[in-house]
Amino acid sequence: MGFAFHQPDSVASAIDLAHRYGDAARFIAGGTDLIIQINRKRLTPQHVISLGGLGLDDIRETSGEITIGATTTHNDIVFHPGFQHQLVALAEASAVVGGRQIRHVATVGGNIVNASPAADLVPALLVLDAVVDLQGPAQARSLPLDRFLLDRGRTDRQVDEVLTAVRFARPPMQSATAFLKAGRRKAMEISVVCVAAHLVGGPGTGFSKVRIAVGAAAPRTFRATGAEALVGARGDDGTSFAEAGRLAAEAAVPIGDVRASARYRKLLVAALVERALAACRDRMRGAGAQGAAA
Amino acid sequence: MTRSPLSLTINGESHQVMIEPHWTLLQVLRGELGLGGTKENCLEAECGVCTVLLDGKAVNSCILLARQCQGRAITTIEGLGDPDHLHPLQTAFIECGAVQCGYCIPGMILTAKSFLDECRGRQPTEPEIREALSGTLCRCTGYQKIVDAVALAARRLEAS
Repeated sequence: MGFAFHQPDSVASAIDLAHRYGDAARFIAGGTDLIIQINRKRLTPQHVISLGGLGLDDIRETSGEITIGATTTHNDIVFHPGFQHQLVALAEASAVVGGRQIRHVATVGGNIVNASPAADLVPALLVLDAVVDLQGPAQARSLPLDRFLLDRGRTDRQVDEVLTAVRFARPPMQSATAFLKAGRRKAMEISVVCVAAHLVGGPGTGFSKVRIAVGAAAPRTFRATGAEALVGARGDDGTSFAEAGRLAAEAAVPIGDVRASARYRKLLVAALVERALAACRDRMRGAGAQGAAA
Repeated sequence: MTRSPLSLTINGESHQVMIEPHWTLLQVLRGELGLGGTKENCLEAECGVCTVLLDGKAVNSCILLARQCQGRAITTIEGLGDPDHLHPLQTAFIECGAVQCGYCIPGMILTAKSFLDECRGRQPTEPEIREALSGTLCRCTGYQKIVDAVALAARRLEAS
């Protein structure tokens, strides 16, 4: 083991270093995955380029959009006052990443670029139609998170590109999100399956927007578009949420491993999708009741 | 790899060390500075015995590069109290009999310190305490007395 450690003083210098060293270099943010992979000799970078202290750790809010800097920690998400109410799925997801010691260090950007199918924050970002911002040596570009994630451990990021931020439109007042995770114990556990949902209220029992994302049940976190379309067409008619769960389970292609069999993971997908949709519906009603009372 | 100088602020004191780039904070604390209160075990951030405070927040020193800590305030168990002036958490751990073999206790106390600081004087519930300690494993005590000790310290800190 052994590598050179680089502490650039700007994002541009970090990109220059990455461009120079190519595949021999790795960015480090929190390092909670990278250092373990290096210790296990699964990764052997010659150069490690720090993204700490470059001002990428802020959360910016405008009336229309929320931007989360790449080195924002999960702890920052949990305690951010803006991630309650309509955006609570973000706090719910970050709150179950590792233990406190991990959440104090591990970053939003790391959770995304690592492209683990079990990344907890990714489904919560996917249901918000999040976009990632990338900065390379020649240009900056943005693309939907859903297109950025390619496969297990693989993204569209080039070796000399830094993911600088993830952002999404502020959802309307009459909307809700929910994140649910199944693990083998309550805390400090990788997800066996995790699900996020987002509903925007429509006329009657209908919804003008439906988003469902499923983690740890396929090589990458995926949107359950068939289930979304079903709920979009039928609204909440008493059986549509359960049927959406079954459709999402059909779309899942989980592995069976030491934590759960593939069959059990599919059962979890169905149950968690139904519950996440119900949670969104109940939260919207709660918010509506609060508004009426006020 | 050759060693290069690094300045670290630990328990309020500045330390100059010569380190290799890949050394973790844990390696530097124990190997270079002789601060053995921070323990070493799993080296994969699963067990929490290596917990220290970085700018007041509990972190696993086993997977944190020492270089990532430059310019930040590190607190180890040696910096929390001394035998004549114990921290309320240390007093509570003794009074509740929360310690058996003791190996997890520095990490347990620092994890609890970080958690209680985040509570800002609010009395946490027992489930909250258990969740807060979930990244710090004890193989002796069954946790009940540790949870009792954190709750006792929280009550005293709130009253003070």
